[in-house]
Amino acid sequence: MHDLLTSLANWIASTRLSLFFQTTEGLIAASQSIHILAISVVFGSGLMISLRLLGIGASGRTVSRLASTLLPWMGWALLVLLLTGLLQLVAEPVRELGTTAFWLKMGMLVCVLALNVWFGRTVRARAAVWDSAATRPASARLFAVVSLLLWVGIVLCGRLIAYTWQQ
Amino acid sequence: MTIDQLLTLIEHTALATRVREGDWWFPLDECLHVLSIVTVFGSILMMDLRLVGLASRDSAVTRLTKEVLPYTWIAFAFAVITGAIMFISKAKVYWHNPQFELKFLFMALAAANMLVFHFGVFRRVADWDDALPPPPAARLAGALSISLWIAVIFFGRWIGFTT
Repeated sequence: MHDLLTSLANWIASTRLSLFFQTTEGLIAASQSIHILAISVVFGSGLMISLRLLGIGASGRTVSRLASTLLPWMGWALLVLLLTGLLQLVAEPVRELGTTAFWLKMGMLVCVLALNVWFGRTVRARAAVWDSAATRPASARLFAVVSLLLWVGIVLCGRLIAYTWQQ
Repeated sequence: MTIDQLLTLIEHTALATRVREGDWWFPLDECLHVLSIVTVFGSILMMDLRLVGLASRDSAVTRLTKEVLPYTWIAFAFAVITGAIMFISKAKVYWHNPQFELKFLFMALAAANMLVFHFGVFRRVADWDDALPPPPAARLAGALSISLWIAVIFFGRWIGFTT
């Protein structure tokens, strides 16, 4: 690990807040459980949107209706992910900041967030074009595949943090 | 044969030994298990929130069951397979783990809730497919399902901290 990151992680670990998180029985397990519940909302929603764009599922609703139903849920769940993720970062900073899987996860997260903001805006602005399979741009399918792969990668890297960090 | 003898037998199968002794078999299997359960819970939640009357209100209930539940079942099948692979690697440990028992208790309750719903108010779904709010029995089934699956995920995660 980079020296600066090591110092930062060690400093966070020594703060009173971190010590409180570390010593509160069951807190990390509870936070991780809520984290998994929230990623279920994000992953389930992302999966349905991707499948709809690929023409496989959720055919009962137009793309714009599905997006306006699911994107707000994804947004709130992402807020929960951020809060529980921050708690876990403060509680176990060395484990998170020193692990490649963590940084890979963060990198993929930034990409998928940017993609979804683009998707949400585009669909709202050009609902009619996106709702018809005939006029939907090819970028819709690309978005569907890439964002789904990114969510899968994020979930996998998240779990792998626990197995790849060096004490 | 006692249950522990049976569990020991399971632990000594080739697959169980490989998962237990390999560096990456268990973590990778666990990753796939997490992917499966987030799909199970994410899709069930969509269905349950519709039954409660809180989300997807523009979709008929039967439309949503057709769109969502196939993915729930596919993901559930993966969760069972990947979960079984984790279980056999340390069968005795899991069998005697209280959190593991509670997880399966809550899964059994979720299954019972689903059966009561399916053979109860869902038989007359044609009468309330688009009705908002849905009938009390459907709303109760949805709310119970959400609560029970949350408990399943909590105890599932807790197993990792107690084994």
